[in-house]
Amino acid sequence: MVGLVVATHGRLADELVATAEQIVGKLASVATVSIPPGSPPEVIREQMKGGVRSVNDGHGVIVLADLFGGTPCKESLLLCQQAQIEVIAGVNLPMLLKANSLRAEALSLSELAHRLALYGQKNITCASDLVRAVVEPAANH
Amino acid sequence: MISFLRVDNRLIHGQVVEAWLPYLKVARVVVADDEAAASPLVRAAMGLAVDGSVEVQIARLRDVDFPGLSDDSHKTLLLVRDVQGVLDAQERGLKVGHINLGNVHYASGRKQVSPSVFLNQDELKALEALAQGGTEIEIRGVPNEKPLLMGEIEERFAKPS
Repeated sequence: MVGLVVATHGRLADELVATAEQIVGKLASVATVSIPPGSPPEVIREQMKGGVRSVNDGHGVIVLADLFGGTPCKESLLLCQQAQIEVIAGVNLPMLLKANSLRAEALSLSELAHRLALYGQKNITCASDLVRAVVEPAANH
Repeated sequence: MISFLRVDNRLIHGQVVEAWLPYLKVARVVVADDEAAASPLVRAAMGLAVDGSVEVQIARLRDVDFPGLSDDSHKTLLLVRDVQGVLDAQERGLKVGHINLGNVHYASGRKQVSPSVFLNQDELKALEALAQGGTEIEIRGVPNEKPLLMGEIEERFAKPS
């Protein structure tokens, strides 16, 4: 199974996974890397490597990082040269839930990553507008 | 012109992209760092993280034209990895009136003076000398944080850990 690593600043990664598990139950083959302020770069690098190693059974790993350009993202990008790793920045809860379910389908790692990036984006909506469009169609032009 | 000099071992990262760049509104970011300059991957990751309207230069410290950066009209954020980087840059013609310390990670011999800054005796001495020469020195992770000034840094360093 494709492994997932959620890598973020602070405790977001742990909480995202805990929240996802609250919704869909225990996630298989998921690791978290949380980076507290002041962590030395070598420690972060080792945390990232350890996270990837712990979920890589040979089918590759998708890293879901929080912020493009942030340290968790940068450190995971350094790994993507060596191993079978795709990195997505801008992790959100819909993306994580989708990542978990989409792994069951026979997709290439790269295709999986692209679909997840798109899915994460599509799930950011101005929800109130969508509802208004249905409830008050006359008010919309 | 160098608008801001920051010592940050993470160089271009989340705090810089999300907090300092919108605050400083610089036209250019210069990373003077041998390790970052040596890795095409690091250069790409850091360069792409910054909005396209801001010029990004990532170069070995000895290749950076510090007098040029200080003299031209582009507002510039200069990033170096550690206090030694500041001293090396000054030796090569950098002139600044202030130094911001953001992230200086723990290493053997360094003592914690803020949640994200650790300094050793030599680094503290170098900063003290700069402060005596009129350079403003602060520890500040993000713009809206209260800065920790040289006096407080010295006090914290002197405290038994």
